[in-house]
Amino acid sequence: MSTNLPLPTSVPPADPATSTIPTFKFPRDYHFPPFFTRQPTLQTHHAQLQKWSSLILSYCRSHRIFKLSLIDALDTDLFWNKRIGKRMSLADVKEVVEYMRKEDRAEWVGGKGAGGEGGNEVWVWWRTPEEWATAVYEWVDETAQKNTVLTLYELTQSEATLSKEFHGMDSDLLQKALNILVKRGKAQVFGQEDQQGVKFF
Amino acid sequence: MFLKHIDLTTALRPAYLPDEVLLFVQDHVGLYEGKYKIPHYQNGHIYLTSHRICYVDNEDPRTNSVAIDLKEVDRYEFYAGFLKSSAKITLVPKPPKRSSVQSRVAAKANSPSRSATTSPLSRSDSPFHPPVSDPVPASTATWICPICTFSNPVPSNFDPATASLRTPLPPCLACGIKPPLAHVLKAAIANATNRPTQSPAPTRTPLPIRRNHDAPRPQSEIWDGPSATQPADDSQGHTANATGGASFPCPRCTFLNHPSLLSCELCGASLVSQDIPSELVKPVLRAESPGPVLNHLPGPGMENNESIKLSFRAGGEKLFHERLKGCMTQRKWLLQGAPPVPKPNRLSTPENGLSIAGVSEYSADKVKTVGIAGLEQRRLEVQKNNELVIGNAFEDLEALMASAKEIVALAESFAAANGGNGSSESNAVANALGLVTTKDMLGGGSNSESLYISELSRNLAEFLTDDARGVLRKAGGIISLVDLWAMFNRARGGVELVSPLDFEKAAKLWEKLKLPVRLRQFKSGVLVVQASDRTDDKTIKALLDWLNDLHSFPPDKELTWDWQLFGRGVTAQDAAERFGWSIGVAEEELEMAEEKGALCREEGIEGLKFWENWIDDSQSPSGTMNTA
Repeated sequence: MSTNLPLPTSVPPADPATSTIPTFKFPRDYHFPPFFTRQPTLQTHHAQLQKWSSLILSYCRSHRIFKLSLIDALDTDLFWNKRIGKRMSLADVKEVVEYMRKEDRAEWVGGKGAGGEGGNEVWVWWRTPEEWATAVYEWVDETAQKNTVLTLYELTQSEATLSKEFHGMDSDLLQKALNILVKRGKAQVFGQEDQQGVKFF
Repeated sequence: MFLKHIDLTTALRPAYLPDEVLLFVQDHVGLYEGKYKIPHYQNGHIYLTSHRICYVDNEDPRTNSVAIDLKEVDRYEFYAGFLKSSAKITLVPKPPKRSSVQSRVAAKANSPSRSATTSPLSRSDSPFHPPVSDPVPASTATWICPICTFSNPVPSNFDPATASLRTPLPPCLACGIKPPLAHVLKAAIANATNRPTQSPAPTRTPLPIRRNHDAPRPQSEIWDGPSATQPADDSQGHTANATGGASFPCPRCTFLNHPSLLSCELCGASLVSQDIPSELVKPVLRAESPGPVLNHLPGPGMENNESIKLSFRAGGEKLFHERLKGCMTQRKWLLQGAPPVPKPNRLSTPENGLSIAGVSEYSADKVKTVGIAGLEQRRLEVQKNNELVIGNAFEDLEALMASAKEIVALAESFAAANGGNGSSESNAVANALGLVTTKDMLGGGSNSESLYISELSRNLAEFLTDDARGVLRKAGGIISLVDLWAMFNRARGGVELVSPLDFEKAAKLWEKLKLPVRLRQFKSGVLVVQASDRTDDKTIKALLDWLNDLHSFPPDKELTWDWQLFGRGVTAQDAAERFGWSIGVAEEELEMAEEKGALCREEGIEGLKFWENWIDDSQSPSGTMNTA
């Protein structure tokens, strides 16, 4: 709270994992009313999208959000500055997400490419799947757990990974990251639904 | 000097004198002095007003613009043009101040080639070049013998200013009875006043010719020798030379007659030695179309009596001639500086049928009666006066012309009385709009339409930039074209309205004519008018300065955001109030600034608001603050 900017009075945690993180510090633009209106001028609009994109990314990182549900998020502080009474419309948010998708910072859940119009959930790549894969592999390497079988649950929920960023990661996202490792030939995933295990090489 | 330099308005039109009325405009006109073209004065607009003829050059209007006061014009002549030579109108200046009759005699006596007339002989003494048009004889005044009604010429040395009872008067040529002095005096004065309006042809007297064979005539002794005999002799000498002998060709049958004969021996046509019909010779004279060019302009101090020719290269000469004739007849310049109207003294002129005694009675009454009775008395008096003025004015057309000034003043006072409750704005504007070009003021030619547009364009620019009216200033320096159109037509009082199409065309010409206003199109397509020195950058700067001020002024109500950092958003209405714009213009200007990236928008329940652009870091004030 070392800021001279007035901050939202309370930031309700959007995710249980945020309990460890101090209150998210919104950027200056978040308190600028026009920030919530789509700018018709091309250059300004571009700057606006960039700022929203970085705001969403940093917000999600700080709140450990991997998968963002747009409809729900509209009612959160992210898109609704209750102090100045300004909020984003769904269409504008989708435009921001679409911009992020083009920048490889987001992906529609379930759909690839621009066809994700119908979807209201989005992967927010504040780390890309490749980065996640590397992070997981490095942790396994550090803790000398190569060639041992780990369950997916263990990877994300165990106390051992508590300090890691991928702690509490969505299982689908983890799957994605592991698939990348599988392709690189550094891991092998086996087992049934919900009972999957992984072995790193 | 005949040609005077003139001042131009911002729209590069001549600045008019008070009471001056524009009558006609024609473009593609060149100026000649005598027979020679005046350099740099060969392509311009000619403006005929009630007082002057103004030439405004197209190339360099500020330096090459001159005017001729109509009151200094003695006569004007019309030349219709032939083959490649354009139609011309010759303006002959009045000779230097003195009694007109005498000076003309003097001029005639000194130079046989008649420098006071239009003749090109003054520069080229070739006898082959007779006058362009018939010269006016020395004295065209005639007095009619009260006994036998014979028209006698007034002797050329007769000066009405100095004539007294002892002045010798020639007796009537027919009956030999001496006329009374008053009779001749009247005739001379009448002639002198009618002079400028007379067309030269019908007033020619047979006198100079007859003189040659009627040698022993009493009046020739009275006339001073050189002036009476020399011109006739001279011209005859010229013609004799021209025909290569002592013979004179008949204009009709070309028979060579003896110079002293009055009529042709063969066909009986009258031989008028001085008056070789100009039509016969004109083509020869005019065949060389690109005339010689003067090397220098006549200096301002030079006593130059050379005539000035207007060459109409794109037509319009006939209308110009008509209008010129009209205003030379009306002589409006005499009204200039005349005392203002409703004066009781005005009634004292004998034609009005009121005796001077009556007037003095009036004034005596006025002194006596006071209070309400006095006021009523005065009202009655004014009413009566008005009745008289109107009655007289409309009696006949001439009287109307003569009393034009009174009538105009009266009409204005009526308008003021009636229109007191009307919109003062349009009234104020209308007053100053007397000098607006209308379609019928413009000359013919294929390009009359474009001339109309360009004149309208200049008119508009004047209308806009006139400080007295401050059309632009009142509208915050910017006004939409539609508003301007409405205001302009309203100011014209419902007469000679301008069509929207012409109006737009005229507005589009501003840039081309380098006028100090410009037409601008907003991205929405709205056309606005603003001074040409007002650029978008200036507007944006003004907007930003204003928004910057909002950082430091505490808001009226509690704001939820950090107003010291971001300032406040402004609506189009705020901007309109602040800068005096119309709402539409304010919207457009704000959007223009937004488009340039200087502002950004906020849509909310309070409507559309514009803010400093804090979103785009390259534009935002913080960016500049950080670097500073």
